[in-house]
Amino acid sequence: MPKRILVTDDAMFMRVTLRNILTKNGFEVAGEASNGREAIDMYRSLKPDAVTMDITMPEMDGISAVREIRKIDPHARIIMCTAMGQKNMVIDAVSAGAKDFIVKPFQAEKVVEAIQKVCG
Amino acid sequence: MMTIRVEYINPFLRASFGVLEAVLGKMPTKGELGMRPSVFTSQQCNVITGVAGRIQGQVIYGMSLITADRIASVMIGQPIRTFDQLAASAIAELGNMITGNAMALLAEAGYVCDITPPTIVRGSNVKISTLNIPALIIPMTLDQGLLELTVSLQER
Repeated sequence: MPKRILVTDDAMFMRVTLRNILTKNGFEVAGEASNGREAIDMYRSLKPDAVTMDITMPEMDGISAVREIRKIDPHARIIMCTAMGQKNMVIDAVSAGAKDFIVKPFQAEKVVEAIQKVCG
Repeated sequence: MMTIRVEYINPFLRASFGVLEAVLGKMPTKGELGMRPSVFTSQQCNVITGVAGRIQGQVIYGMSLITADRIASVMIGQPIRTFDQLAASAIAELGNMITGNAMALLAEAGYVCDITPPTIVRGSNVKISTLNIPALIIPMTLDQGLLELTVSLQER
């Protein structure tokens, strides 16, 4: 059974790019969320194996969403995928419960590697 | 006298080179820097990103419609027929990535800031006002055309 991934990004372009990378590498895209709020709702209903999470998004940012998702499921596997690579962001994301942190622009292999690692 | 600090500009230069090379596959060429009044007539396609924190303001990525089409085509991996939502999103994400990457460099220099999601403004004869914050222009020549960065930032 392919691992099911929830993709979260406010940019349609990034969602399409991530979907292409994931499906080409044997993953299934469980759903696409365009903000943190949607990601929480979709996590609850879709129960994905892992989540990719942008940080800067309207309505609810990715770090707040990580905190909320980890309340629903303390074992949730979430990988940050963001253009903001500063230390304080990485620290905030990891302390919120994110398992990995990828800075955009990224290479497809980086994303695949990170997801394979968390899905182990 | 309008001034803008070089500490704010270098991170955007470095981030632009890095992101544009990674996304478009070729290093851009930087043109001569210029100053711009706080109200100006902009390019046909503009990605506006906001910066908030120890420094605040906007960074605008301006280009012609043809350049926007060409950049979006490279990013999407196929020629675009119309500048649709996906193309707009690609162009917006390019601005988001450059500003986002610049934030990491600014943070290293002690200026910790956050960014807002990008906005796209398209049209001819669009006037953009950066209020009283002076703006510095960085022209970047790409294979796809000219990309003009307008960096309008000040310390809070």
